[in-house]
Amino acid sequence: MTGWNLTGKSTRPRAATEPLPWEQGATPGSIPAAAAATGADGGGAAEQAEQDPNILTVTQAVGLAGATLAELPPITVLGEVSGFRGPYGARGHCYFQIKDESSSLECIIWGGVYKASPYELRNGLKMRFTGKFEVYARTGKMSFQISRFEPVGEGLLRQQVAALAEKLRREGLMDESRKRPIPAFCTRVAVVTSLSGAVIDDVKRTLRRRNPLVELICVGSKVQGEGAEAELIEALARAAAIEPAPDCILLVRGGGSFEDLMTFNDEALARAVAASPVPVITGIGHEPDTSICDMVSDRRCSTPTAAAESVAPAATELAELLATRERRLAAALSAMVADGKAGLSRALERASRAMGERLSREELSLRALAARPCLTRPDETVLRRAAELEQSADRLEAAMARGMERQAASLDALAARLPAPGSLIAEPRHALELALARLAREGRELTAARGADLARQAASLDALSPLKVLGRGYAIAYREGTVATSATTFAAGDELTVRFADGEVAAAVERVDAK
Amino acid sequence: MAEKKIEELTYKEASQELERIIRALESGEMELEQSLESYTRGVALVKSLRERLDSAEQQVKILEKDMDGTDTLVAGEAASTDDTLSI
Repeated sequence: MTGWNLTGKSTRPRAATEPLPWEQGATPGSIPAAAAATGADGGGAAEQAEQDPNILTVTQAVGLAGATLAELPPITVLGEVSGFRGPYGARGHCYFQIKDESSSLECIIWGGVYKASPYELRNGLKMRFTGKFEVYARTGKMSFQISRFEPVGEGLLRQQVAALAEKLRREGLMDESRKRPIPAFCTRVAVVTSLSGAVIDDVKRTLRRRNPLVELICVGSKVQGEGAEAELIEALARAAAIEPAPDCILLVRGGGSFEDLMTFNDEALARAVAASPVPVITGIGHEPDTSICDMVSDRRCSTPTAAAESVAPAATELAELLATRERRLAAALSAMVADGKAGLSRALERASRAMGERLSREELSLRALAARPCLTRPDETVLRRAAELEQSADRLEAAMARGMERQAASLDALAARLPAPGSLIAEPRHALELALARLAREGRELTAARGADLARQAASLDALSPLKVLGRGYAIAYREGTVATSATTFAAGDELTVRFADGEVAAAVERVDAK
Repeated sequence: MAEKKIEELTYKEASQELERIIRALESGEMELEQSLESYTRGVALVKSLRERLDSAEQQVKILEKDMDGTDTLVAGEAASTDDTLSI
């Protein structure tokens, strides 16, 4: 009977399940019946000649084993994955073994089952596998076909961590937007870690070498074991409360087992990291380890050393930066001076160009003026006028000559038509001489009589002339140019003129004696 | 400009001021007199920063709880000059 126990040593998994059928002393009759049943489709008809029912063909034997195993209810086995191969090809089947200290078991997971599972398998993972044994007819090899698998122990822990991570992610604690900016150059840095481990020394040494300008403040805390989470939460709060506040907090610890690092997967600690008023940089464990604290921190570094290096630029970089700035400073000033000079010379150039343009414009207009004929040949006008005048004189002369000729010609013509001078006036002249002789005769007769009268009248007029009277001793008194006829017109002191025949006397009235 | 004495500035403050000065100078919008003043200050900043960089010594403090539970900063040891890392 034990020969049918195909694995021979798989006693351990069995312990977890109900007793297997063949261990309960199966009835002898049931076995050939099963063998016959499988033998029919097994196709080993040639061997049927052996009529001893206790001797089976290979096909019958394998079939018997398969049928027997198939009757087992599904069992659940705890084992560690090793030799994992798959998922293979399009179907995605996976082949591997599960083992414990003393046994191993071939396993198959069909692609569909593996794909539907929320978990992934890899070597070393300890898990609970549920499935049934199968025997492969062609080789008689048995394998465990797995229909379900789930983590236990560390695997279970990882699942719990993943669930917590998912929860916090959904709450938005891992959003990039809530990660606070960390200065490129933190000069005051709080380090939260164990003060007794090597990590704090590494951080100090790293920063001493990289950038000694960074001031470190060490805040000690347990980093694993009972109560470590609470201590870390308190240390974070203490670090954030330092006055003046540090630029960032380094939350670091060295490498360890998954269980050791579980402290940093604590929900309360993760929330404290996310809520810290000072940005938190994590460096927990080694490269592949990622804790929840890493996920919610403001910057995640793979190791404590990397975290320390990330807080500030290296002193050599600072020195280079300083050298660059020194050059820029000098360059900026010389550029400024050069700019100023260039500006000045541009202005000078513009000014002289403008002046030059102005001068050449003026020169052009002067030249234009100077080129005008009145200046280049000032006598031309006079000469032209003189020429014109000469022409006019010539024309005038010619015109005059022609006119004289015309007048002379017409005078000649008139003279020819004029009668002889004496013929026209001879008769009137004779009549005139006769009339003149008569007028002279008549005149003499007329004036002789009138002359005698006139001489007589002149003699009497002369006798009556006041001047004649004056000649006899009379005088005429004038007052203001008028003949004074009355003494009463005078008053003492008045002036008067007295006319005598041979002159006048100016006098003044002494006294008036009116009669 | 109300300027702090250079010795009173932290390295970072001095460094930031230097950068501001350089940018202002590079912008070319400064009066010449002012730019000369800034340049002089910039040179002084460079000198101070270089000295500090060359002579920097690591400052390490430890946050310790007093008897009454209040936190106090006490001086700690700087890292040893041994450059090997244990992790």
